[in-house]
Amino acid sequence: MPLAPHAAPAPSAPAPSAAAPSAAAPCPTPSARRLDVAADLLALLRDTTTEPRTNPQLEALTLAVAADLPVLLWGEPGIGKTAALTQLAESLDLPLTTVIASVHEPSDFSGLPVLGDDPAEQGVPLAPPDWAVRLVRAGRGLLFLDELSTAGPAVQAALLRLVLERRIGSLRLPPEVRIVSAANPRASAADGWDLSAPLANRFVHLPWTHDHEVVVRGLGGTWPRATLPRLDPDKLPEAVDVARRAVCGLLTARPALVHRLPGNESLRGGAWPSPRSWDMALSLIAFATAAGSSRDVLALLVRGTVGDGPGLELLACLDRMDLPDPELLLADPRNAELPERGDRRQAALEGVVEAVKSRPDRARWDAAWTLLVRALETGAPDLVVVPATTLAALRQEEWDVPAAIERLAGAVSLSRRTDRSVARATAAGGAGTGAGR
Amino acid sequence: MSGRTSAAVGDSADAATGGGTGTVTGLDREKLFAARLHAVRVRPYLATALFALHVVESRRVPTMAVDRHWRCYVSPGFVARTPVEELAGVWVHEVSHLLRNHHGRGDRVVRERGLTRAGERLRINIAADCEINDDVYGDGLVQPGGVVLPKTLGLPAGDLMEDYLRQFRLGSWLPDAAAWLDCGSGADGLERDWDLGPDGAHGLSEQEQDAVRFRVAQGITGAPGSTPRGWRRWAEEAFHPPQPWRQLLGAALRSAASGAGAAQDHSFGRPSRRQVALPGTVLPSLRRRPPRVSVIIDTSGSVSDAELGSALLEVAAISRAVGGGRDLVRVLPCDASAGVVHSLCRVEGIPLLGGGGTDLRTGFATALRVPPRPDVIVVLTDGQTPWPVRPPCRTVVGLFSRPGPARPVNEENPDYTPKGPPDWARVVRIG
Repeated sequence: MPLAPHAAPAPSAPAPSAAAPSAAAPCPTPSARRLDVAADLLALLRDTTTEPRTNPQLEALTLAVAADLPVLLWGEPGIGKTAALTQLAESLDLPLTTVIASVHEPSDFSGLPVLGDDPAEQGVPLAPPDWAVRLVRAGRGLLFLDELSTAGPAVQAALLRLVLERRIGSLRLPPEVRIVSAANPRASAADGWDLSAPLANRFVHLPWTHDHEVVVRGLGGTWPRATLPRLDPDKLPEAVDVARRAVCGLLTARPALVHRLPGNESLRGGAWPSPRSWDMALSLIAFATAAGSSRDVLALLVRGTVGDGPGLELLACLDRMDLPDPELLLADPRNAELPERGDRRQAALEGVVEAVKSRPDRARWDAAWTLLVRALETGAPDLVVVPATTLAALRQEEWDVPAAIERLAGAVSLSRRTDRSVARATAAGGAGTGAGR
Repeated sequence: MSGRTSAAVGDSADAATGGGTGTVTGLDREKLFAARLHAVRVRPYLATALFALHVVESRRVPTMAVDRHWRCYVSPGFVARTPVEELAGVWVHEVSHLLRNHHGRGDRVVRERGLTRAGERLRINIAADCEINDDVYGDGLVQPGGVVLPKTLGLPAGDLMEDYLRQFRLGSWLPDAAAWLDCGSGADGLERDWDLGPDGAHGLSEQEQDAVRFRVAQGITGAPGSTPRGWRRWAEEAFHPPQPWRQLLGAALRSAASGAGAAQDHSFGRPSRRQVALPGTVLPSLRRRPPRVSVIIDTSGSVSDAELGSALLEVAAISRAVGGGRDLVRVLPCDASAGVVHSLCRVEGIPLLGGGGTDLRTGFATALRVPPRPDVIVVLTDGQTPWPVRPPCRTVVGLFSRPGPARPVNEENPDYTPKGPPDWARVVRIG
């Protein structure tokens, strides 16, 4: 259709330039042929391949949608949010319905009052829009509410009911319909509205950014294909257990984190901790554990649900739960598997020393020394020094020095060397000694 | 292990002259790790980050370098010829690049300012070094020889990498310090040929890096006593970087002005133009009532004219963007007594009189008394004032920040300290 005006002058004036490409394939109607060529070019442009690539953003989105929690994607316009949703809908085998919130009126979401014959007797029904009727009739689908932050306050209020109560007028969306919304961040939406704190608390906030490499490769013809997480039916009870232990463990130790309204203007409209969002975080940990997702995916989800600070504390809690159990390490110190990363290894060794301290006896003390020797043989020696000092201080009079301690000589000389170096540095600086000496 | 130490020291002279190639013995790990332990002893709050680094022996690195995946590349020759206490300083220096995310910030600067010429990444590395070196040494940590200090470039200490980057060019002083200026891709974001890349072993993912940063920041904010000022500032801002006050003021004003009941909203009060097409259906229509904004300006002696001018222009621009015309913005200078209400049309001629103490309560009273009643009140002040007890209407407070201890506001009663802005107002720190 749009090509028609251009095609019209062609029969009246057959230009030589137009004739040249047509010589190869003679065709009775030039206007149709031109469209064919355009179609060929379009087909070539669309002929792209895909390659597998891990995509933590998409994985996080999939898990949140699977957990039936309202997701809010924060991303600049034109960054591929809709493309991601299309891929998600395909992989979940759900039809996608996109609604641009900012071009609708509140009544499109809350229902239009339709006056019947006798409103006083029969009441005034609230008529839903056609896409909602189709969605309910299909019984399943992915509803994508775009441009949430540029919709006016009244539209946002109506959307709130749709997102949280799943109601449009008198219709109720079936449970197999999943809802995802998207908004432009404050910096790029000059005329946007901020989300109010109660509304923000109900969403899982996922930042949506583009990966430079992915875009360049995609425009070159190879788009990424993410393998989406599948929940493992055998892991479900374990997943719930992990999630409950992590959240309850953290909130027992840090009661102040249970509910904390964002105090500062820059944090408004984002994720913040409340019993509701902790409950969401709990579900998300369970889903991520059951799907065997990486810590990166889980971090995106948790930080997007309870906020950065509380989210990172929860992740630290999960990290500690991941450390090997000190009692298991003490039970078989010779074959113990210590974490590879230095800071985690140090934390594991300190946990072991703490365990010995809490219930000191000769056998456990000896086992801990064996473990330290193993740590020295398999990793950096400086990690062993502090736990060894603490462990040595736990010695009781009747305990003999174990033979294993001979093999810690390397750590001892390292420690002495450090002492001398700190002393030299302090003397050179002339300032007071640093902390910890 | 300990027996090899003396041999390594003996080789160090060859290593220094040979530039790290040829017959150097392997990496003296004991010395390197003794230095790390030294760093941990004198900077306990950095322990998590220091231990999280993965050491990679590399003969192509001039000294020590880090990549953006928290690997630390170490030249065996450099370790052999450097004393332990200096190595400790290098450890802290390198881990500071990673904690302060210099690679990410470098990438951002390159993108935003278009710094693609050759040598710009070197400038980023130098600016990042300046940010670190001005307060990282001393107090048990020896400053390694030849490090770049802001002083070296004739710049003031205490700035951020982004600020230093605007203030110097590459010059003739460079060759002396050049060996020190390659802290790797972790310092400036440019991949080096020795980097193991994202797929190499023992890298930390971005979320793991954030977790380490968070634990270090928590350790600093938990026990701030002996920590240098630079680290305290980093810890406060690590996860909540300060936002430009213009955006915050705009957001606060917008959300105050556009809440339900004010400004543009949908209403059933008047029939919609679509009404004729759908008989029997009641359609709402869009009704627009631009917000009326009153700006109360604290004209007591403590706020400078330049500050007031920039903030006032900002408020006017924002309220126009929200939908109010110029005549809907009113300005009210106020010190201990409120003056006359001005319309913004005459913003150039508004006399910002005053200079004594402040009592903004009279300003609120005057703003509300003069009809028509404002939808939003914006207060520009340094906060040294009594406040109304109850919210008179939606209120946004633009607070000029005042460094250092609060000045005494009442000479007869020096113990009196005014309360900060009340909870019911949206507060934005300006400047």
